[in-house]
Amino acid sequence: MKKQIKWIGTLAIAAVLFSACEKDDAPVAIDKTNDGTFKVFTEGNVTTVQNLIADTIIGLNPMGIPYGTGKFTFFSLENKRLVASTDSATNNWDIAFRGTTILTNSGTSGPGNGGAFVQVGTFDALTTISNDSTFRVDAVPNYAIPTGSGRGWYNYDGPNNLVTPLPGRIMVIRTANGKYAKLEISSYYKKAITPSISASDDEKLRNQRYYNFRFTYQPDGSKNF
Amino acid sequence: MKEHHMGKKWILMMAAQFSVGLLCAQDLKKAADTLFQKELNEVVVTATRNERKLGNVAVPVSIISQKTIQQAASLRLKDILQEQPGLFITSGFGAGVQMQGLNPDYTLILVDGEPLVGRTSGVLDLNRLTVGNIRKIEIVKGPSSGLYGSEALAGVINIITDKSYDGSGQVSARYGTYQTVDLNGSAGMRFGKLGVQAFINHFRTDGYSIRPFSVERSKLPISRTTPQLQLNMPLGSRTTWNGSVRYNHEYIKNEITVTNNGLSTVSNGRERNRDLNISSTLTHQFHKNLKSSLRLYATRFEGSQVLNTNNGAGYDDYFLQQFYRAENQTDINLRKNISLTAGAGYIREMVNSNRYDDKNSRKDNDVLYGFMQAEWKPVSSLVLIGGLRYDDNRLYASAFSPKIAAKYTVNPRFSLQASYGRGFKAPDFRQLYLNFTNTAAGGYSVLGALEARETLAQLNAAGLIKQFEDDYGKLASLKPEFSNGINIGFTAFPVKKVQWQVNLFRNDISNLIESRLMAVRVDNSQIFSYINVQRAYTQGVETNVKYLVGKGFQADLGYQFLQTADKDQLKKIKEGNYYFTRDENNFSVPLKRSDYIGLPNRSPHMATVKLLYEKPNQSWFVNTRAIYRSKWVVSDRDGNGIYNKQDEFARAYVLLNLSGGYHFRNGIRLQAGIENALDHVDAINLPNAPGRSFYGSITYQFKTKKK
Repeated sequence: MKKQIKWIGTLAIAAVLFSACEKDDAPVAIDKTNDGTFKVFTEGNVTTVQNLIADTIIGLNPMGIPYGTGKFTFFSLENKRLVASTDSATNNWDIAFRGTTILTNSGTSGPGNGGAFVQVGTFDALTTISNDSTFRVDAVPNYAIPTGSGRGWYNYDGPNNLVTPLPGRIMVIRTANGKYAKLEISSYYKKAITPSISASDDEKLRNQRYYNFRFTYQPDGSKNF
Repeated sequence: MKEHHMGKKWILMMAAQFSVGLLCAQDLKKAADTLFQKELNEVVVTATRNERKLGNVAVPVSIISQKTIQQAASLRLKDILQEQPGLFITSGFGAGVQMQGLNPDYTLILVDGEPLVGRTSGVLDLNRLTVGNIRKIEIVKGPSSGLYGSEALAGVINIITDKSYDGSGQVSARYGTYQTVDLNGSAGMRFGKLGVQAFINHFRTDGYSIRPFSVERSKLPISRTTPQLQLNMPLGSRTTWNGSVRYNHEYIKNEITVTNNGLSTVSNGRERNRDLNISSTLTHQFHKNLKSSLRLYATRFEGSQVLNTNNGAGYDDYFLQQFYRAENQTDINLRKNISLTAGAGYIREMVNSNRYDDKNSRKDNDVLYGFMQAEWKPVSSLVLIGGLRYDDNRLYASAFSPKIAAKYTVNPRFSLQASYGRGFKAPDFRQLYLNFTNTAAGGYSVLGALEARETLAQLNAAGLIKQFEDDYGKLASLKPEFSNGINIGFTAFPVKKVQWQVNLFRNDISNLIESRLMAVRVDNSQIFSYINVQRAYTQGVETNVKYLVGKGFQADLGYQFLQTADKDQLKKIKEGNYYFTRDENNFSVPLKRSDYIGLPNRSPHMATVKLLYEKPNQSWFVNTRAIYRSKWVVSDRDGNGIYNKQDEFARAYVLLNLSGGYHFRNGIRLQAGIENALDHVDAINLPNAPGRSFYGSITYQFKTKKK
């Protein structure tokens, strides 16, 4: 425990020092104090994204089904920042989020050379994308990252109304410009806190559609991380 | 893995201790103290369907006496069962009992040998039964389908009611926290030859709220009334007739406010449950070695729930189950040391419910069964039992349930017993016919297996299905769930005044019926149905030590260690690269075997400590009962589909109950007590357990003199 605190402390100091020469918000390695705001910070070759808002719920339709504005949130893995939705028809973005749907800049979703597949394993264990792997491209209604509970990146527990990213699912992504990245989603909820099963539906719906993930982008075009 | 080792070490330790105990055997005859001897001589009926001394029964049986129930001041069956080692009371759909780590669905509940019906989601609510007229409760652990058929997979709890026709009776009243009132009256006498005993119980409570900041009640206001009439008529010297009519009426008020995205919905509703049980038994002793009885039994359970809301989205639920049975049992003593029991019967079961479709459409099933059991005592210290039963069901596959058991009394201080049995549980009407849709946010549906295929095909034809899941291909007619159970144990008197019992158990269950996701509608709501998928095991050790500390002072310690696993999950964990969890940073890591928990809602450690002092002349008593339960997993927080140490747990707790009573010579008894003295409250995981509560009661026992 003590060792761990020390380790976190070292990282935190390193992060603060590191942040001094970065333009972004003050990054902290494990930012458990984040109040729910969107943040991006990079440690070595791993970039962490917190609270990326993916069309949060604004109401319930008469059938009781929640809805948002219907707009995607676009993100560039290469530049490690959000991309305006007006740029959706460009190669400026690599992935986009709306509810549980994730787009890659490929096929029916964008003009890019993107694609993706989901690999079972851990983030660290994925050091090389094997040459026989196949990248899928978006072709509505099917996406490179499959939608649906237990099919792509998440599990939806209908009776408890909770969305949990499946542990051990790494998204291998080809960016709009044909470079490679690996990405792991850690939470679908604000502040990365999954509401308790006993929380009200209201609380569960209000805090969802906040993506928390980390990724490594390989700028040299190789398939090694 | 670590847990495995711990378990083994523990067993070794016990074995070592025990052999030391045997080596210093001194006075063998005096060892079994009179109180223990009295207990071993007590007659039990559930284990063999025959009257046998507890000391001669080869399967694990425990008895809860009327006195124990009274001194614990229990009101409902749940209250007394939760104080028994190895039994845990679950709290979804009423209070159910978990035995040897198996769900409430798998324990058969009998009243005077006849089954109760009216389970919700497999749970028979133990609160439905008053303990006011119980003479004793017999608990048999391990598969007993060889004698009792479906549901007796984990074991059997048989409630034996008081049948006194001797002019005695009693009235009692109790009042406690939450305006809880319990009134009992009973009297029995003979009118000529006809013995008549009447009993009535009335219970009511205001209920309580243990959720902070909520007007919603965790326990709703309830009133229950249970009258029962029992009759006994000797018809000549060899024939006896017994009859019983029991009725239970339950009324629950329900007022709730649900807030969803700022919209408040106010609802008020009521739930009404009615049970009726009628039985008639005719017994004839043809010969001193041949006895036969004919039992006729009819029962019905009718439950209705109505909920009215201010937004018009009400709820109306109706459920009626009827169960009729005719059975003959014949007992023959072939020779002095061999006895045979054989029987056959017919069951007709019917259910009407709007949970399935229309409440006027009746679902029914017929079962024909036969059973046989032989008991052989080759020498006086050895009892061997073999039996089997065959159940032929109209709606689903038949079941064949064998059982063998042996008990060997090594010496008066030590006896060994072992048993093997196959148990089964037939698919219930819910698993066959359910048609339920939850319309709340994130709505979902559950369909019974018999109609799921057709319903899904219709929905698909109407273009309402977005996708089918892999499990859809596995939808087929359901098979019964089976279990192979082994129990091995001993009873020892290692030192004077100490009785020590150990039972090791293992249940291997196959064909477990689970609800699985079958399809997703275009609006993303999920549709579930039932299939036979799981293979699981539960295993552990239960031990009990009774120590007669001094005159009138007794200490009773019980402990159960339990391990469970889903065998398919276990296999995949061992193969690797299939299950993952998350570390403290929410990063995925492979799931280790040592992180795997097994089946949810089970505590690995459960213990009971009971201390009782009773003045030798029985004028007063005090007792304390502490029930410990270690933490248990309640939800799959990391979303990996299985239960592991990283998931959500309910806190461990100790339930401490105290009571004391005084008997006056004129038949009046006063008693008072505190329940949950440590005030452990967990609104989410233990909604049935209120905070600290107090009560006082008065009982008057009378007996008219014979003219």
